[in-house]
Amino acid sequence: MQRVRATFEKKGRAKYISHLDLNRCMLRTFRRSRIPIWYTEGFNPHPYYSFALALSLGFESSCEILDFNITDDEMPMEAIRDALNAVMPEGMRIVKVAEQKQKITAIAKAEYAFSLVTDDSAGLYAAVQTLLTQPEILIEKKTKKGIKTVDIKPDTEVLTCADTGSSVDITMYLPAGTQTNYNPTLFIEALRQTTDLPFEVRDIRRTAILCADNTVFE
Amino acid sequence: MDLKQKIEKHLLEVQKPSRYIGGEVGSVIKDKSKVDVRFAFCFPDTYDIGMSHLGMKILYSLTNARENYWCERCFAPSEDFEAIMRENDIPLYALESLDPIRDFDFVGFTLQYELSYANILNMLDLAGIPIFAKDRTPELRQIVMAGGPCVCNPEPLADFFDLFVLGEGEEVNLELIDLYHRMKQEGATRLEFLRAAAQIEGVYVPQFYHFVYKEDGTIDRLDVDEGIPTTVRKRIIRDYDKVYYPDNFVVPFTEIVHDRVSVEVLRGCIRGCRFCQAGFIYRPFREKTADTIFAQTKALCENTGYDEVSLASLSTSDHYDIDNMLTKLIDYTAGERINLSLPSLRVDNFSESLLNKIKKVRKSGLTFAAEGGTQRLRDVINKNVSEEEIMNTCRIAFEGGYSSVKLYFMMGLPTETDEDIVGIAELAQRIVDLFYSIEDRPRGKGVQVSVSCATFVPKPFTPFEFEPQDTREMVEHKQKLLLGSTKSKKIKISYHDPNVSMLEVILAKGDRRLCPAIYAAWRKGCKFDSWEEYFKPDLWLEAFADCGIDPSFYANRRFEYDEILPWDHLDYLVDKAFLVRENKTAHESKTTPNCRQRCSGCGVNKKVGRECFAKSKSNV
Repeated sequence: MQRVRATFEKKGRAKYISHLDLNRCMLRTFRRSRIPIWYTEGFNPHPYYSFALALSLGFESSCEILDFNITDDEMPMEAIRDALNAVMPEGMRIVKVAEQKQKITAIAKAEYAFSLVTDDSAGLYAAVQTLLTQPEILIEKKTKKGIKTVDIKPDTEVLTCADTGSSVDITMYLPAGTQTNYNPTLFIEALRQTTDLPFEVRDIRRTAILCADNTVFE
Repeated sequence: MDLKQKIEKHLLEVQKPSRYIGGEVGSVIKDKSKVDVRFAFCFPDTYDIGMSHLGMKILYSLTNARENYWCERCFAPSEDFEAIMRENDIPLYALESLDPIRDFDFVGFTLQYELSYANILNMLDLAGIPIFAKDRTPELRQIVMAGGPCVCNPEPLADFFDLFVLGEGEEVNLELIDLYHRMKQEGATRLEFLRAAAQIEGVYVPQFYHFVYKEDGTIDRLDVDEGIPTTVRKRIIRDYDKVYYPDNFVVPFTEIVHDRVSVEVLRGCIRGCRFCQAGFIYRPFREKTADTIFAQTKALCENTGYDEVSLASLSTSDHYDIDNMLTKLIDYTAGERINLSLPSLRVDNFSESLLNKIKKVRKSGLTFAAEGGTQRLRDVINKNVSEEEIMNTCRIAFEGGYSSVKLYFMMGLPTETDEDIVGIAELAQRIVDLFYSIEDRPRGKGVQVSVSCATFVPKPFTPFEFEPQDTREMVEHKQKLLLGSTKSKKIKISYHDPNVSMLEVILAKGDRRLCPAIYAAWRKGCKFDSWEEYFKPDLWLEAFADCGIDPSFYANRRFEYDEILPWDHLDYLVDKAFLVRENKTAHESKTTPNCRQRCSGCGVNKKVGRECFAKSKSNV
């Protein structure tokens, strides 16, 4: 049995597939591809596969991780990739299939990119800078136990922030994985609370899933 | 901003956004510049309901198999998205191209249920298409048409549609599109096209037909424009085993009502239950061979990736080769880890080896559509289920570990008395008693008998088309009587809302004078009438009153045998004389044997020009 890790894109119309629907969608994709995926044993056997991280509805991604097992030890990684890509939905594509090098618990953060479209990009840029120089960024976060206030400042690493004239484009690292998960909408929410400038959020993308040392999770 | 951007700007504000953006596996995308005719297949309910409809899957694939025609899907948006569409000038669009359907050549609706009629008007309005046919452009485009079972009496919608297609669409739809394509190239007008279309068998263009009414409100006569056929006959597929069937379905992302592969095994029904419209309007009975059914199942499972299959028909047990067919299917599905669901299957006369195989795949509960509470009433409606059969099957099921049974009944059937209502409770009680009389019954939990009661709705093209519906007072009396006659806590009774059944019968048996009332009801805010939380019966009654319509004229009046009915000019192959004969037989509490046992002379075989059955197998 081969334990494999697929990296896939979820773009265009596919970004409206919810996580729950994605699960069902992958099950059917595996069946269409006819690759020999390993089924669980027991009373109700089902194909075993799991996503490393859930992706919020409406986000695009170039780096989603899907783990599964193949019963055929000889099947080349490229063949698995091609068989799946032949039957994937529009907007979804496997970019890589490889062996599972690290444990899922090695995931520590993810890189996001998004645009804040506005008529006053200079003003909004200044507002972002002001927010980032605050000692703490407090925001209410919904958790399983209810709503709690968190300070996202220590875990928010802004990589780039650019005023394009019609928007402010930001890339940042946020914690992800089995411990803490922050969604870029938390940061955007905090920004809305510090500025009255109207803006529209566009094209939120997850662009990398990383380990604690900023290397790409594999 | 283009339409796609406008849609996407708001899509994350609504429930289940994947319903509004397309892109599903199996959806067909074509190059607009290479397409000659564009067809929007519209389902007048939400995506979750409409995507489950088998007819759409068939006609979608069939039309798209022609390279230069493009058929796309369109559904009614839910309330949240409709508000956004109206606020932001997003016209109703098709899911494949995201282009507005008002720019299409055909806008085709399927009429599955009377209570979806208001949704049609709402969808036309959302699309920016004039709601009344007379207000549409004289140019040849934007042809608004409909097909499906409710088209057997399309009169209440006559003012809104350019044309209706009667019967099975696999051939006539393409003939219609071909005609359109040719006449479009010739520069024809809408009217010229409609006149030519009316010559195609199965195509009904209501604007060429004019009703004249008597003082008492019944129909005096029907005037038909010169050169237009006086009756329109429904279309049937003669070689049903060879008829087009899709080898792929659009596979939705979001969960829909019937989220599985569906394979049609037969059309029509041999049973002749007198209340059942489907049993008459889909005649003659035709079957696919086991090999065809198997091949279609396999192709669909492989191409869609579904791990569940269901067989579609009015009565799968009546298939001539059921044993062989199920054996083939079960051997395949078991090996592929596919779940085969067999709804409403009678298991009485199967071989033992097949029974054992079925037991392995069957998980669904035990359901009986007994329909009537006493044998006398079941004879009246020609529902050939005996109490002995119900009891036998229940015994086998209880011994096999089942402990719950569902029973379906109708209330307000012709000739029904209080005795028949009490009979429902007594039958349920005898099932409870049976359970406790069985030695090796399932231990630990009691038995549960669920009784679901619908109100009878007389429908066109059935022997009961002449019958009145019970008034609300009568229905309420019977509901109380049933509750009072039910002694055991193991019996659970549930009802349908009688207001729903009343609107259903009015729209089912109505005539063209209802068009303004449907329009008025929609203007007052009626839509999604089949959804309990949206149904507003008071607004409908207001609309009828505003338009001078007496609902009881349609709902509670007996239509005379010699009366001209609003659907008499439509020929569904079954003779009216036969329906009258069956109605009389019903009132004598006499049954009619099923078509395989003996031909009861409904007239279909004469019109089709061949016998329905050769020995035991149907003339597929």
